[in-house]
Amino acid sequence: MLATDRGAGWNLMLSQPLVGACLAGALLNPGPQWELWALRIPIGVGVLLQLLLTDPALPAAQRPRDAATAGVIGVSVALLGLERLHPSLPVSTGGILWVVIGTITGLLVAIAGGWMDRSARAATASRLARADDLAREGRVASFEALFWGGVFRIFLRGAIWSAGATAVGVALSVAFLPHMALLVTGPRTGLLFAVIMGLALGAGWHTHVRARSSGVRWAAIGALTTLILLLRFRGGEP
Amino acid sequence: MTQAPSLRGADLAKVTSRSLYLQALFTSERQQGPGFAFALLPVIRRLYPGSEDRGRALGRHLGFFGTHPVLAGYVLGVAARLEERRAQGGPVDEDGIERAKRSLASPLAALGDPLFWVTLRPLAGLVGILGMAFLPPADPSGPDPRVLVCPLLALLTYNAVALPFRVAGVPRGYALADDPVTLLRSLKLAGWKQVLDRVGAFGYGTLAALVLAAMSGSVDPLGRGPAHVASVLAPFVLGAVGAAAGLKRWPGRGVEIALAALLLALIVSTRV
Repeated sequence: MLATDRGAGWNLMLSQPLVGACLAGALLNPGPQWELWALRIPIGVGVLLQLLLTDPALPAAQRPRDAATAGVIGVSVALLGLERLHPSLPVSTGGILWVVIGTITGLLVAIAGGWMDRSARAATASRLARADDLAREGRVASFEALFWGGVFRIFLRGAIWSAGATAVGVALSVAFLPHMALLVTGPRTGLLFAVIMGLALGAGWHTHVRARSSGVRWAAIGALTTLILLLRFRGGEP
Repeated sequence: MTQAPSLRGADLAKVTSRSLYLQALFTSERQQGPGFAFALLPVIRRLYPGSEDRGRALGRHLGFFGTHPVLAGYVLGVAARLEERRAQGGPVDEDGIERAKRSLASPLAALGDPLFWVTLRPLAGLVGILGMAFLPPADPSGPDPRVLVCPLLALLTYNAVALPFRVAGVPRGYALADDPVTLLRSLKLAGWKQVLDRVGAFGYGTLAALVLAAMSGSVDPLGRGPAHVASVLAPFVLGAVGAAAGLKRWPGRGVEIALAALLLALIVSTRV
């Protein structure tokens, strides 16, 4: 559905990483003992991917990126990996290890999904010759069927891609991460998490402030207003 | 010869609902052309009884067409009106319909892309993120309702602005088909963009302040001193500065920059 939102033209915002990640988190059910993480990790992954994958350039100038399924696959790999690898990589430091893994997976998937989108569009071109023929023959209903077939293909491609990439991601995690258990320490995970947060905030600056008229002024007003409100209502305790 | 029937409100409503699939057969050569023809089919069916006429009408809309998908309804409305006149024997030729489509599609794309893709969509995502920052989890050890509230906030923000344009597009384009200048001016797209630009920058300032306030409270709970604070904050600050500087130098390469920075951080962490 998220792929259809982006590919077919619904454009209702469903295909944004924050929405996809949170929906995947709410729908995936790794078991009652993981319920807390199944709800918190998706928010972290979704927020970071939303900031990192938002490109303020006009669409024609953008590189092909599949932000629609990035959040879903990133969260699915994180939650299913968490469930399977818990004995060797226990949940620690608030689950940020899996937020880091989910975010990195989402970034990689966005690139691969963009390549796949490009090849899918090339395949669509061949169907247009058929559409021309149908119009010439006056077969409007057949054109309609051809078009609905295109919508269904987008849906199917998105579903297969999401399931396939998740399966590959989980398989790779299960195969490699246990061997790296000694390297996965709390401080190292914390360092990577801090870098990702910084990157996300820097990307947000680029999108929401640098690219806007009077952006710096309005960002400063927003920051000052928030700080004043924090001091006023929390008595200086953020 | 019997005159072609007039279009009904239900026909325009069907065009509106089909305009949601505008990009399903998107290609670089024709862009949204096939989707435009598909959306206009209820109109073509109403106006032309014979399969040959229908096929010819379908064929004229299958060529290149490109505009902003949220605003495509306005062009569909104009095309529906012109097709109606043509079917009823009015002085409208195929070139006239094509010219009207292109003269409206280009400015709508030029105004719509910066408003909806560049400004509103990132802003809606930001509102969802701010929802996470402002709403505390109901129970620190229990389910987190923010997983549903945050995406809902983003969806509501985006669609509160975009959906009215989508719903009103076809009927308004149909009504103002003879006056495209008034149609374009009535949308006030540049004004919307200016307001949303500022709201987005304000929201980012809010987010930055909330993040910094949260970090200042948790970075040194044991009071180990400035050196500890600096060591904790350094990766965060380096990441932020690196992303901002990298995106200025290589715009559109955010994913590559993020992955490169993470790889670098991983290497550094194994050496330190």
